[in-house]
Amino acid sequence: MNQPKQSNRCRQVVRRWPLLLVLLLCLAAIPAAAQTKKITGKVTDEAGNPVSGATVREKDSRRGTATDAAGNFSLTVKNNAVLIVTSVGIEPREITVGETDNYDIKVKPRDNSLNEVVVTALGIKREKRELTYSTQQVTGAALSASKETGVLNALTGKVSGVQITASSGQPGASSRIVIRGNSSLLGNNEALIILDGIPINNDQTGNPSGSGSGTSRLSDIDPNTIESINVLKGSAASALYGSAAARGVVLITTKGGAINSKPKVMVNSQYSFENPILPKMQTRYALGDRGVYFDGDTKKTSAVWGPSIDSLRSVGLLSYYKDPLKAFFTTGHTWTNTVSVGGGTDRSSYFFSYSNLNQTGTVPTTKYGRNAIFGKFTNKITDQVTATLQLNYSLSSSHTIPEGYDLTDPLWTVYTSPSTWNPLPYLDANGNQRVFRLSRNNPYWDLHNIYTNNKNSRFIPVVTVVYKPLNWLTITERGGADTYTEQPDYYEAPSTALVTTGRVIQNSSNFRQLNNDLIAEARHGFGDFDVSFLVGNNIQSTYSQTQSTTGTGISIANLDNISNGAVITGYDTLYRVRKIGFYGQANVSYKNFLNLSLTGRYDGTSVLADKKNFYPYGSASAGFIFSELIKVPAISFGKLRVSYSSVGNDNVGPYSLTTPYQSAGAFPYGGNAGFLISQSLGNPYLRNEITKEAEVGLEMQFLHNRVGFEVSYFNRNHDNLLTQGVPIAPSTGFNSTTLNAAFMTNKGIEALVNITPVKSRNFTWDMTLNYTRIRNKVTKIFGNTPQLQIGQTWAFLGKPYGVFYSPGYLRDSSTHEIIVDASGLPISTQNNEIIGNLQPDFLAGVNNNFTFKNWTVGFFLDYRKGGDILNSDDRYGYFYGTPLVTQNRQDLVVKGLVQGTKQQNTKVVHAEDYFQRLNTNYEAAMQSGTYLKLRTASIGYKLPAQMLGKGPFSTVSLTLTGRNLFIYKPGFTGSDPEVSSYGTGNGSQGVYGNTVPTSRSFNLTLNVNFK
Amino acid sequence: MKKIIAYTAFLAALAGTGCKKFVDVNKNPNSPLTVQEKILLAPIELNIAHGVDAGGSAGNDGEGEAASFTNHFMQTICYNQVALNYGTYYFVSTDMNLSWQQLYNTELENLQQLIQISEKNGNANYTGIAQILKAYVVAFTTDLWGDIPYSKALNGASNLTPTYDKQEDIYDSVQALLDLGIANIGKSQGLKVGADDYFYGGKMPQWVKLAYSLKARYYMHLTKAPGHTAVAQAQLALTALQNGMTANGDDWKFDYPGGATSQSAWYTIMLPYSTLCASSAIVDTLVNRNDPRLPFVITKSKNTGLYTGRAIGTPSIGNLDDYSSIGDYYAAIDATQYILPYTEVQFIQAEANWLVTGAAAAQPFYTAAITNNMTKIGVASGDIATYLASRGTLTAGNALQRIIEEKRIAHMLSPENYNDWRRTGWPALTIVPNAQTAGIPRRLIYPQSELNTNPQPQQSAQFTDRVWWDGQ
Repeated sequence: MNQPKQSNRCRQVVRRWPLLLVLLLCLAAIPAAAQTKKITGKVTDEAGNPVSGATVREKDSRRGTATDAAGNFSLTVKNNAVLIVTSVGIEPREITVGETDNYDIKVKPRDNSLNEVVVTALGIKREKRELTYSTQQVTGAALSASKETGVLNALTGKVSGVQITASSGQPGASSRIVIRGNSSLLGNNEALIILDGIPINNDQTGNPSGSGSGTSRLSDIDPNTIESINVLKGSAASALYGSAAARGVVLITTKGGAINSKPKVMVNSQYSFENPILPKMQTRYALGDRGVYFDGDTKKTSAVWGPSIDSLRSVGLLSYYKDPLKAFFTTGHTWTNTVSVGGGTDRSSYFFSYSNLNQTGTVPTTKYGRNAIFGKFTNKITDQVTATLQLNYSLSSSHTIPEGYDLTDPLWTVYTSPSTWNPLPYLDANGNQRVFRLSRNNPYWDLHNIYTNNKNSRFIPVVTVVYKPLNWLTITERGGADTYTEQPDYYEAPSTALVTTGRVIQNSSNFRQLNNDLIAEARHGFGDFDVSFLVGNNIQSTYSQTQSTTGTGISIANLDNISNGAVITGYDTLYRVRKIGFYGQANVSYKNFLNLSLTGRYDGTSVLADKKNFYPYGSASAGFIFSELIKVPAISFGKLRVSYSSVGNDNVGPYSLTTPYQSAGAFPYGGNAGFLISQSLGNPYLRNEITKEAEVGLEMQFLHNRVGFEVSYFNRNHDNLLTQGVPIAPSTGFNSTTLNAAFMTNKGIEALVNITPVKSRNFTWDMTLNYTRIRNKVTKIFGNTPQLQIGQTWAFLGKPYGVFYSPGYLRDSSTHEIIVDASGLPISTQNNEIIGNLQPDFLAGVNNNFTFKNWTVGFFLDYRKGGDILNSDDRYGYFYGTPLVTQNRQDLVVKGLVQGTKQQNTKVVHAEDYFQRLNTNYEAAMQSGTYLKLRTASIGYKLPAQMLGKGPFSTVSLTLTGRNLFIYKPGFTGSDPEVSSYGTGNGSQGVYGNTVPTSRSFNLTLNVNFK
Repeated sequence: MKKIIAYTAFLAALAGTGCKKFVDVNKNPNSPLTVQEKILLAPIELNIAHGVDAGGSAGNDGEGEAASFTNHFMQTICYNQVALNYGTYYFVSTDMNLSWQQLYNTELENLQQLIQISEKNGNANYTGIAQILKAYVVAFTTDLWGDIPYSKALNGASNLTPTYDKQEDIYDSVQALLDLGIANIGKSQGLKVGADDYFYGGKMPQWVKLAYSLKARYYMHLTKAPGHTAVAQAQLALTALQNGMTANGDDWKFDYPGGATSQSAWYTIMLPYSTLCASSAIVDTLVNRNDPRLPFVITKSKNTGLYTGRAIGTPSIGNLDDYSSIGDYYAAIDATQYILPYTEVQFIQAEANWLVTGAAAAQPFYTAAITNNMTKIGVASGDIATYLASRGTLTAGNALQRIIEEKRIAHMLSPENYNDWRRTGWPALTIVPNAQTAGIPRRLIYPQSELNTNPQPQQSAQFTDRVWWDGQ
């Protein structure tokens, strides 16, 4: 298809959400001139369906109107006027008014990909071509193709500039989403999530014991109800959303019905099974120490440094032999069933969906389930007022085990178990735990005696009322709430192995966030200019309360009730945060090739210092569609865009201004209440932080859009970062404080390439590539402080965020060779050293889709280059003799220099001594996060239409999808380097340890659409 | 249209005035900004007994690991782990963080709060107690780290980088704090102290006796300090003790209730997950001397039924149940934590009298101290006599060794033993195999948390350096 001629293109574009500005009020009063006549007409598409909401206006005039639900319009125009018909997604048309008064106007859809309509800030739909900043859309279909149960995991690898990191393979486990790099040292770094205009909570919750991850609350949303996701990456795109949007925005648009359409029933049924991708461990040597066999029953030890299995077998001593990981993990199963119906009458449309998800995990006993109901009803109350009510309700439940570096985590013992000891039964005849080593529980005992049951009931109602008093003016009122109640119960039985008393923790959390936007938008064309103005107000109020009771000292087995505790203690925390914002935006489009956009916002927040809690910010951006001016046959589209923004942010928790007394640990104690002053010093001077971002982008399409790319370069400066928990010298009396302290930069390149190598009647091959490269640098911490602990990693002046800073090899200062001690073993440094960094060099993804007649085949490859990860399982394993590398037990000579003499080391050491020494050396467990994953591979078949004939079905399709069929991880010995085992928090990143492994799964999906 | 304008204008006006108020919700509903004295005293005391003196962790207010370190140095406890650990003096600076958090944040900052609040309210008993406890915490800290932040410390944001004071000056301050405490209690002003005082239940005369006993303890710490003489320090100690403790009833101790959330510090420290057991050095000493306290203070190996300690620094990992652990006198779930028992006063009297007058003068205090301690532990009187006989009489040549050796056994897990060892060289310790320092540590290194945020010249100190009072 040819590029439409400039003259035919409309100057006026999206006017779905016109808006007000006082300025325009005067213009409305200019009287009409010359001879006029009233005409009527109907706008229809190629199939004859009415096109509602299309703009019909007179060229070189202000006169115009919009078509109604049936595509009809009426308008008074000059004689011989030229009508311009435009709408989102259609080719603009010009019709010269002649003698007749009635016009049937047929319109064609606009050339694919140039007319892509995307949802931008505040839910405003705009054509992608006129945007002045970078966004990327992911369709609902692409999300479901990933076969992930959670929205975030479904996005992984698909969007440039975005990094999503899973925490664990446990059902419902959380994931972290960071857009354009970390922007805060210790504050929230995760993207803002907006559902149909309402910010929704995506905290990691539901893990009262605190070990391991929890669930990211976004997983309450059923991915099947999502029409599309738009990722607003830069601050210019998101500035209208206010402070939190400085971290990027994930805009979720849900499905809806359509005016004048018959009920469409869709049934989707999925089953998948998941097998854990287990790390390879050594299984050649038995439990024992220094080659001496310990049977685990009469002789116990934690060491798996015994004799070889073969030698035991040859003397008939081998009574049991099984890989402890294979024995422990099992196959998980997921069933998902969704049914939905959508349609509409001439004045209303509706969409309802119900889905049920049931998942059993790869760790026996673990499970996750979700029932979600979604309904959306839109009604045209009058010709000027349209109202939409939508409700999202979900009830999710899970049964999980603790993970991470905690004695309650069975995996800690599983990953360091010998293959020569049978862990079952887990109880002996006296009801005591059977263990091969002391100081740890039997992992199978853990499964049945330490767990969390969680229930979350979530309700997200949104009401949108759109009032169009004039064809160029739209007033939108949108109110919504995100509320949930969560009740996690943690149960831990008393352990005979650890001599613990057991406990029950029962939490009850109430979260509610109310959000209201009142927006007025005016749009109008003036000759070659197309102008829109928008003003609005946002009010947001967040309330969250957690009541927690702990019963310590359990006497009744598996009674998961607080009354089971011998001593009951509790706490209650309540947080209230309020924000208010006023915003405005002005867009000017000139001759359809130059777009300018200005935004401004003035925010107030409850969390900052009095007199510092209101602050302004804004953005300016421009897009230049050069292909409109310079015509080159091979170039179908070309746009250059630049933007600059400065966004204020209040990224700090409430109550950070004062230093209160807090209930002391272990209190109440012996009948006394006890409070101690908070170890975190309040700061009454906190003001907003600022993200300044400059961005340039180039978007091009070639060869009739068969090849296209989009590339952006951004430079973000994060200044005066609000940093909660900045360590201060303990000798000040306090341990930390909150400061407007740190400075950080993110510079990056994002690229997206779309290629359609083959496009014919029966066969199409589409390919999408994305690439992200971000360079982060911490440019200031505070004062002269050179480093700051984030958790598992550190921030270092002049280094990227997330440096590993732990004892490493002591090295010779000139030759950098390892220094060994007199016994020939490497020496670990006494002080921390920089031994790695978690930032990847780049991320990339390739998606291929082939359509051949009724068959579709797709595969999605995902690549991460670099980014270090601490393999904590190996670090502990070196001590115990369980990692695969410890299978080589030859005596060895460590290559290095002898301390003092600086001679080459020649001393022979035992492998056990060597590896146990490495246990103190974190550098020896630093591994590469590089991976290449075949994240999904699928094959689908759609029954031919003639087969369905006159039956009730319009389409029936069957898809088989394999996930993680292949993971190449050259520098990593664990299951999957793409995890942060301890959850989504800043402090948890970069560590792999004691976690449920990633799964390889097969999914079968049956999709049926009824006529 | 006009309606819209009017409505918008009205809303804008409303918004302008209401905004400030709307966002004014930042008052913390969870935690108070002021408290009474008794609310502070109870957790301060629990943390002194549990954290500072025992090295345990009370809730989430920081661990006083430093006390545990002294028990590794004194070769009392031992990890059932391969060589590189605290037992072989393998430390990194971050290992000191929790202790400073406990000492400066949990203790000293809150003691300062307590002093300020009680002074303002005129509750002198609380002021006095806080000053005595502050003296104890400051002395504990300087004994392990030498020069520490003191006069410029605890000023919050107004001094983020407090310089360190000389230990010599801090010792003057410790004595002065104790004198202030005694004087404040003497005022008998304001609120009576009650059940929030776990140590003495508000019995103020006993607090005064404790203050004098602490004065004696700290005078004795300076027996070889530059510019001080042992005899003069002993004389000062004896003078102080004229007002010091006189009976076991004066013991400074903490009785653990032993409930699910009130287990004794040593019970929790020795739980199996720590992989700690008794060191062969202490077990062998008690076994070799036929010390009748052995079954009370050391357990038998669960597997073998024998008294077997683990040798620190040995390479292999055995079975934890093959080794002895700490006995019920210290580590029962409801044990008593003795911070400064009367028996310590008796041993100080023995040492001070030996210094001032001679071995014969020390003998009765020495005998009384051992007898008192053994009786308290539950040893039969016949066994006491047998043991005393086997240890012989104090002579000019053996008095210091015997007094300190017995003092160490009597208070087997007290951090005070490490001060005595550095002062006197007793009990004799041998450096462990696989030691990571050139000698047995004579002090602790500064914590990473201070290194990062408050660089000071003193921070180059190494484990083998000596604090000021630890003169050669």
